[in-house]
Amino acid sequence: MKEIYEKLQNGVITPLQNLEEKIKRIKEKESEINAFITIDIENARKRAKEIEGKKTKGKLYGLIIAVKDNIAVEGIRMTCASKMLENYTPPYNATVIEKIIEEDGIIIGKTNMDEFACGSDTTHSAFKITKNPVDLTRVPGGSSGGSAAAVKAGFCDLALGSDTGGSIRCPASFCKTIGFKPSYGRVSRYGLVDMAMSLDQIGVFAEDVFGVELLFNVIKGPDEKDAVTKDFEKKENKGRVAIVKEFFEGCDERISESVRNKIRNLNAEEISIPSLKYALPTYYLLVYSEFASTMQKYDGLKYGSKGKGSDLIEFVSDARSENFGMEVKRRILLGTYITSKDYREAWYYTTLKARSVIKKEIEKKLEKYDFLIGPTMPMEAWKIGEKAEPTQMYAADILTVPVNLAGLSAISIPLENGSLQIIARQGGDENLLKFAGKLI
Amino acid sequence: MKTIIGLEIHVQLKTESKLFCNCKTDYLTAKTNENTCVVCVAHPGSKPYFINEKAVKNAVIIAKALNCEISDEIIMQRKHYFYPDLPNGFQRTSKPLGFKGELEGVTIREVHIEEDPGRYDLKTGKTDYNRCGVPLIEIVTEPEIKSFEHAKKFLEELQLILSYLEVSREEPGSSRVDANISIEGHSRIEVKNINSFKGVYTALEYEEKRQKKLIEQGVNYVQETRHFDEEKGVTISMRKKETLEDYRYSPDPDVPPIKVDKKISIPELPKQKRERFEKQFNLTKEEVEVIISERKLAEAFEEISKKCDYKRLANFFKGVLKKQLNYRNLKYDEKMTPELLWIEKAIEEKKITEKSAETILIGVIDKKKKAEEIAVEENLIGIETNVDDIIDKILKENKKAVEDYKKGEVKALNYLIGKIMKETNGKAEKMKVMESLKNKI
Repeated sequence: MKEIYEKLQNGVITPLQNLEEKIKRIKEKESEINAFITIDIENARKRAKEIEGKKTKGKLYGLIIAVKDNIAVEGIRMTCASKMLENYTPPYNATVIEKIIEEDGIIIGKTNMDEFACGSDTTHSAFKITKNPVDLTRVPGGSSGGSAAAVKAGFCDLALGSDTGGSIRCPASFCKTIGFKPSYGRVSRYGLVDMAMSLDQIGVFAEDVFGVELLFNVIKGPDEKDAVTKDFEKKENKGRVAIVKEFFEGCDERISESVRNKIRNLNAEEISIPSLKYALPTYYLLVYSEFASTMQKYDGLKYGSKGKGSDLIEFVSDARSENFGMEVKRRILLGTYITSKDYREAWYYTTLKARSVIKKEIEKKLEKYDFLIGPTMPMEAWKIGEKAEPTQMYAADILTVPVNLAGLSAISIPLENGSLQIIARQGGDENLLKFAGKLI
Repeated sequence: MKTIIGLEIHVQLKTESKLFCNCKTDYLTAKTNENTCVVCVAHPGSKPYFINEKAVKNAVIIAKALNCEISDEIIMQRKHYFYPDLPNGFQRTSKPLGFKGELEGVTIREVHIEEDPGRYDLKTGKTDYNRCGVPLIEIVTEPEIKSFEHAKKFLEELQLILSYLEVSREEPGSSRVDANISIEGHSRIEVKNINSFKGVYTALEYEEKRQKKLIEQGVNYVQETRHFDEEKGVTISMRKKETLEDYRYSPDPDVPPIKVDKKISIPELPKQKRERFEKQFNLTKEEVEVIISERKLAEAFEEISKKCDYKRLANFFKGVLKKQLNYRNLKYDEKMTPELLWIEKAIEEKKITEKSAETILIGVIDKKKKAEEIAVEENLIGIETNVDDIIDKILKENKKAVEDYKKGEVKALNYLIGKIMKETNGKAEKMKVMESLKNKI
């Protein structure tokens, strides 16, 4: 990735040459990988020609970027891998897209995902199943599976994904590439379709840390269009590392060993964060609640095929039954249930309390240590068709969700077996990337 | 039979832009969906911008004016329901920003900020989203209002306060009221979406009578929601309330808590002005009420009264100025203050009569000219002191009226005075004319 960047910046290759190279690979392999929902070759070529020979080259000059299909790119259909949005074309750009265009990046298309980001393997798309470029019989992970696969398959130089509970780090791990989830509030979510608003974060895939840093530096920063964004105080990095005992519980032995080998020379202390055992249920209850709320807007009046029915409620129910997939429906129903009057106290408010306990405990550890380390996923990519039960799929998120609950930054780096996850405090993104760059 | 009334009053706040985006707040004259963007019509992926600070400030001012305690921060919540005018499928509505207030003996339970939904036309099935996201406050009273007359008094004072604060909108439909009314020991009736304060009095008066009549007839009625038909002045049953709707209120993760500046100062309110004016200027209650009926009018009175006889000024405000403004459905414009001062001075210096003063004032209002210009143009300067000849002339020309007066018809005297005033172009002093007229007859 760094090589291509330098060639473009030095004029050794042109943006169009870079693009044609990617198009060639897409033509060869996309039919078996299915990384994309929409490919926009025509506009990408137009854009490549437009920026060619610019005197001052943007930071992303001529780089080909794939975008998860839940991030708005003006004029390109955005489906969220759902029938509900099959024919929806956003009339606006997400803030991250504005910034990419500003820096001369070229958007090649929109990548496949689990419907509305509900899933961990990109088999829950209404349109297609993405295959893992490393092993076509296996899932690419999810929900940003299309973006991870596109980077791994060489369809693009960089890709954007979104991470609510591991949706960038999981596919990065399964596809053996690098995935970075910035701190909550560090990158504008404006234009990112919600899954769970207090957890969602746009992040980056690349084959090297250089690429991750490059794209992150372009898209980061506060945005008046996203009220949760802000500036963070810079903290010194003292290089204190801890490995978290709980992260290795139930983890594939070979992966654990790979992780421990990788950090052998770091003098990492082993620590325990007991409240992590509540992370998974807390995460899912929170996701259901926020997801049910944000999905209210899909009432069948503006998006999706129209419902039938004699009154408004029948009409809305019919449209939603018709246009949503199973996992989406499951989450809406559970979320509606736990936020309803009779159950809110017992479920929803308890969840909020649990979250705050977990957050505080992790934050306390991050006062003492700069980085917390463990595996990203407890297993390698599973075979397509495996893990048909939702609870099996949910369990795979156990190592990634704590980061979102506490709003932290984290990166996944591929190892011989599995991947290494490095976690840093909220706002410590730059230190994290520097550290990860050295470690590789 | 004791009446119990509680009100929920929605008032749109006066701001340039909407609560969570930069769209303009005009929805009355704008073309359909002209003032909308991806945020206020809730396109997938859009997020609320940082909250409109002006709206927050305005809401705090109103809450303070209603003697509320103010919260440290505003927590925005989501209230979920499906309706075509609600593009998000939920409405953003804050937790109480003010609470435990008081007005006209009624406890204000809470004041909070909300975003207005769009406007759905039942007949065409179309929605205009221009109103979506317009900031408003909801004022909720405890059920302590004792009658529709009490409600009227409460709302009139509220309206006066709002007009003083100048932080809310005043166009038709910018205030909407839901009223709960019951007769003690009987079912509660909610009258929804009354679109004006006047409508509230009519609706409540109608409901109070309707419910009392049902009770007298021994009819057992159930709790329900009724709609107010403004044209007919009646309420109509909408739906029986069987189950309470569950809006699944939850904090909005997209809007972090907003710190409130509690120190914002508010102008002197009608109540304080009323008390001060009564003490400071020995005026009648009626005069004070007219003078404080508009903040700018009261301010003008204070300013001008420093330079002339305030008692005569109060009389002029009540008897002439406010009457002429009301007649034209106008509010006092502060540009008139120097003109009023000129008029008052001119009366004091005996340059014009009080009759001329009114003519000049009308000119100032209608022609938007300076008082002095009008006075000169219409030849109103000067007082006719020698009225005897004119009186004699008029008496000669109107012998019948003289006879009538002698027979005891008071109207005839007014007729003659009118004739004389006209002959002098209003420059005669009415009192003097009357005196010498009586003497001569």
